Amino acid sequence: MAQAKDPKKFLPLTEATSYILLALDEPLHGYGVMQKIDRLSEGTVSVGPGTLYGAFTTLERDGLITKVGEEERRKIFRLTPLGRQVLQAQIHRLGILIRQAQTTGE
Amino acid sequence: METKHINKFKWFWAWNDEKEEAWLEKMAGEGWHLGGLGLPGNYSFESGKPRKDVYRLDYIIDQKDYQNYLQLFNDAGWEHIGKMAGWQYFRKPYQGDLVPEIYTDNASKAQKYQRLLIFLIILLPVLFISVTRPVSAGSSLFDFYSILKTIMGFFLIFYAYSMLRIFLRIKQLLKK
Repeated sequence: MAQAKDPKKFLPLTEATSYILLALDEPLHGYGVMQKIDRLSEGTVSVGPGTLYGAFTTLERDGLITKVGEEERRKIFRLTPLGRQVLQAQIHRLGILIRQAQTTGE
Repeated sequence: METKHINKFKWFWAWNDEKEEAWLEKMAGEGWHLGGLGLPGNYSFESGKPRKDVYRLDYIIDQKDYQNYLQLFNDAGWEHIGKMAGWQYFRKPYQGDLVPEIYTDNASKAQKYQRLLIFLIILLPVLFISVTRPVSAGSSLFDFYSILKTIMGFFLIFYAYSMLRIFLRIKQLLKK
């Protein structure tokens, strides 16, 4: 199936959104995402429930994540193929930034 | 100790919800904990030991997903106290010096005010019609309608001002 949306159109992602997509590599509910981001970011990023709820709504609408289940009023989401492409494009951008900073910013 | 109840009426502007949050926090520090909400501006408090709680307000329009929404806040340690119009009232104890937040970046916080602005824009035509509706000639209630229209006119000016303030708040948040 042809991908209708260009992943680059979603860039740049906010730091919170990048981490949400990264966390949804596996199916998780909201609180699971919060805990995982805490761990992945080594405590540098925390995502509040207002921010997360808004992000879920937008990301689901844009087709970057999809609901794969529900447990006791907790929706479980997972990354879609488009979401994965967007995340990779973002990481590619950040990779360039980090490489440049390491060579010029010493 | 017996729990006492008091009701308070206080008015806050919609663009100034942080002032309202600070007031609720101050009340909690004095041993008055928000117990429930009534009509706009009506707060009821319960007496208890002074606590260091953070109060946060959220604004939502679409409530089809309301139970999931509340569950997510609850999982994150936020107690939902009640709602007033579309405003949702949450509280969470301070964790040491760390101030817990429901919005952890400005982009998502701006979206809260964007929802509020959208709601005001949706209501605008209703308000506008009520002000511009022609007064029926020869009616004995002519004066009553004139007064009503004047009041509504002032309200419309205030309404426009609110929209401007919320718009500026969004701009300020997105610039940070």
